[in-house]
Amino acid sequence: MKRLLGMVVVFSCCTLTAQVSDTLLGMVNEVVVTATKTERKLSNVAVPVTIINQKKIQQAGSVRLNDILQEQTGIYMTNGFGTGVQMQGLNPDYTLILIDGEPLIGRTAGVLDLNRITVGNIKQIEIVKGPSSSLYGSEAMAGVINIITDKPNRNTLNLSARYGSYNTSDINLNGSIRKNKLAYQGFLNNYATDGFSIRPNSVERSIAPIKRFTMQHNLNYYLSDKTNASLNFRINDEKIINIIAVTNNGIVTTSNGIEKNKDHNTTFQLAHRFNSHIKNTSRVYATRYESLQELVTSNGAPYTDYFKQQFGRIENQTDFIINDLLEVNTGVGYIKESANSTRYDKSENTKTNQIGYAFLQTEWKPFTQLTVIAGARFDNNELYAAAFSPKLAVQYKPSSAFNLKASIGRGFKAPDFRQLYLNFTNTAAGGYSVFGTVEAQKIITQLNSIGQIASLENDFYRLGELQPEFSTGINFGGSFNPNKKIQLTFNLFRNNIENLIDNRLVAFRTGGSQIFSYLNLKNAYTEGLETDVQFQFSNTFNINAGYQFLLSGDKDEIKKIEEGKVFTRDENGFSRLMQKSEYVGLPNRSKHMGNLKLQYEKNNAFANIRFIYRSKWAVTDTDGNGLFNTNDAFAKGFVQINTAIGKTIAKKLNLQIGVNNLLNYTDINNLPNMPGRIFYTTITYQFIQKNKK
Amino acid sequence: MKKGIYMIGLIITLASCNKATETATSNNTPTSSITVNNLAADTIIGLTPQGIPFGSGKYSFYSLETNKKITTADSATTKWDIGFRGTSIIINGGNSGPGLGGGFVFVGLYNNLSAVPADSTFKVDNAPSSFAIPAGSNRGWFVYDAINNLVNPIPGRVLMIRTASGKYAKLEILNYYKGGVTPPASASDAIKLSEQRYYTFRYTYQPNGSKNF
Repeated sequence: MKRLLGMVVVFSCCTLTAQVSDTLLGMVNEVVVTATKTERKLSNVAVPVTIINQKKIQQAGSVRLNDILQEQTGIYMTNGFGTGVQMQGLNPDYTLILIDGEPLIGRTAGVLDLNRITVGNIKQIEIVKGPSSSLYGSEAMAGVINIITDKPNRNTLNLSARYGSYNTSDINLNGSIRKNKLAYQGFLNNYATDGFSIRPNSVERSIAPIKRFTMQHNLNYYLSDKTNASLNFRINDEKIINIIAVTNNGIVTTSNGIEKNKDHNTTFQLAHRFNSHIKNTSRVYATRYESLQELVTSNGAPYTDYFKQQFGRIENQTDFIINDLLEVNTGVGYIKESANSTRYDKSENTKTNQIGYAFLQTEWKPFTQLTVIAGARFDNNELYAAAFSPKLAVQYKPSSAFNLKASIGRGFKAPDFRQLYLNFTNTAAGGYSVFGTVEAQKIITQLNSIGQIASLENDFYRLGELQPEFSTGINFGGSFNPNKKIQLTFNLFRNNIENLIDNRLVAFRTGGSQIFSYLNLKNAYTEGLETDVQFQFSNTFNINAGYQFLLSGDKDEIKKIEEGKVFTRDENGFSRLMQKSEYVGLPNRSKHMGNLKLQYEKNNAFANIRFIYRSKWAVTDTDGNGLFNTNDAFAKGFVQINTAIGKTIAKKLNLQIGVNNLLNYTDINNLPNMPGRIFYTTITYQFIQKNKK
Repeated sequence: MKKGIYMIGLIITLASCNKATETATSNNTPTSSITVNNLAADTIIGLTPQGIPFGSGKYSFYSLETNKKITTADSATTKWDIGFRGTSIIINGGNSGPGLGGGFVFVGLYNNLSAVPADSTFKVDNAPSSFAIPAGSNRGWFVYDAINNLVNPIPGRVLMIRTASGKYAKLEILNYYKGGVTPPASASDAIKLSEQRYYTFRYTYQPNGSKNF
């Protein structure tokens, strides 16, 4: 038995059995897999990584993934098409979301709604910042968030139930069992809320009533002391009821919208250690995301919007430990993706793409203080240009108190199916159309031949094969922990983003309605500083503080400003030249973001208070000059305060109560998804808890 | 009949020309900048079943020479220089009217524009395919913010206008909403619809026929 437990540590790539201690010193020993695709101590990783462990998630009273992420330094949760993550100032499109190392799919307008992910069975969240395409391929431009779920390593059974404002309930049942060579972990989660509306007297809800059900099963079989097989299966099923009121000539028409989203993920993994030098891991992953939206109106036919995406991947990774100084990790893989949608030309027509890839990473320790990691990945796509993503990272530890890290890497994001195949005409709002690039030339040329096109814009002639979006990210940082009580980490970052895909007007129909398509257009950058300080006052009291300073800009906009081609208006409404100092860069980004957490813990009881601050951010180009400057509309900066207290009784029963948004801060226009003050209470009971021997 | 209207137009043109010459003899300098407030331009009276707003469909005509609104009855005359309907702007010339009018959109600052740039070409209306002042968002004088459903005049856009009588004017559109104030993004759609299509603009007119302002 003891031997088997040892095997878990060695073989299962994503099973982390390292003891997570509460002390700062303990945190240094946390193990991370995402940064190098192999297990590493957090203190030995040459790129910026944040780890959030299970205890932190529970003590923050989090329910969905976005709840806990929003309290982390440098991370902002965006609204629109669900809740996405903005990291190092990059849009949600550019952060890869993994569950146990496998990507989640089903993005809407580039956003993967993090509300889909329950935190009930999360063991650890690993956040790697900076381009990570050298290991993970597309989407890992801003970084990677990898959710490591509970794995069976002992006999447990827990039930937890939370109830709070807006009739929100969250119930988790989590258990695991081990017998000889077989281990099983099962998890069920049921979440339901009535939603809320922060607009008074509105039938429409800011957050619609939702029912979500998640289950996950994990089976591990230890074939021998060198071989381990595991099967993981996850389902997430959600149903959202939207009531939409449309006022037309003073007559209110109410429609009932039903949205059903489903995702399935299945992973099979076989890990084998040939000898002390060579380990091989083979993984097969299949996932499917399906979304169906129906809008039933009292007068007229129901409107249906359907989207289905499938993703399959086979990957083989081999790790060679050549000697104490040199390790090589190499992998090859094949991906097949497909999508159908009522928004593509024919919903029965399946769009497919195939990707073949290979990666290689070398970790070399020329001497004890220095680690050099060099890696690269090549992705060959069927549908668009290939991508090559190299990365170089260096870590230098002059003493046990200092740790310096520098890395440079290239990230990319492949054009998605929407940008290639969308065929959407909005008949309600002026009849505009958006066509993916593959469709656009075909459709417009055809319309033109039958006299349905009034004029072709210059951008029409620029339509061609879409290139992936690229970024070059530079990170330089380090940490300083002079003693066991203080730890300071910092990271300076710069991301140069090329080829950003944006939509442009390409043609007018004879009736005057506009046709848009996608082009590689923009070059942008984000840069800033991120810092965290942890201070342990005493055995019972500690403080965490985090801050991010962020600047961003569009290089073409800056060029236009420098050429004196950008104007704004003075107080009389008359045009005047815009100064470069008035430029604020990309919208929806705050220059300053901070968080502060005070935590008290004693005798199985804890209390914490968490402050989250975000400075103002640009929302609307009100002066009409096409970019964001100080003369535009901004959302106000704000502070959100969350607090929780909890107690464990007889090591089995946990009670917790909490208040989120204590100040009751709301902003109807800019933060429609943020409710006012909410209260909740959670009870957790551990029926079985057999500790490891 | 058509010829008749044209004849009447000619007479009026000549008459107004005379008038202009008279004023020009006494005043060879351009008018100082004149601001016109709240010129209603086919304000919205309803929505189609598809939700598309509509007005009565009539242009509001304006004479830059006399700084006066011109009635619809005079649409086929050279009394007017510029017409507004929603975001569409027509100039009295080409197939929009019997005048000599034309125009183009200049990128730059109104105050810095002391003369019509030497290398510029005035275009004339050729409805519905092209207009001297291009129609549509981000093509001429305005940009439509589809997220907030608001029309914003683009700063640094000067409408260079040749009037119905062949004189020159420069014009800057300042606002598209009632009272010269754009509703906030958070305003209701009802307010955004009822308060739009009211032009506030400023212009300078050169009565002596020269291209200098």
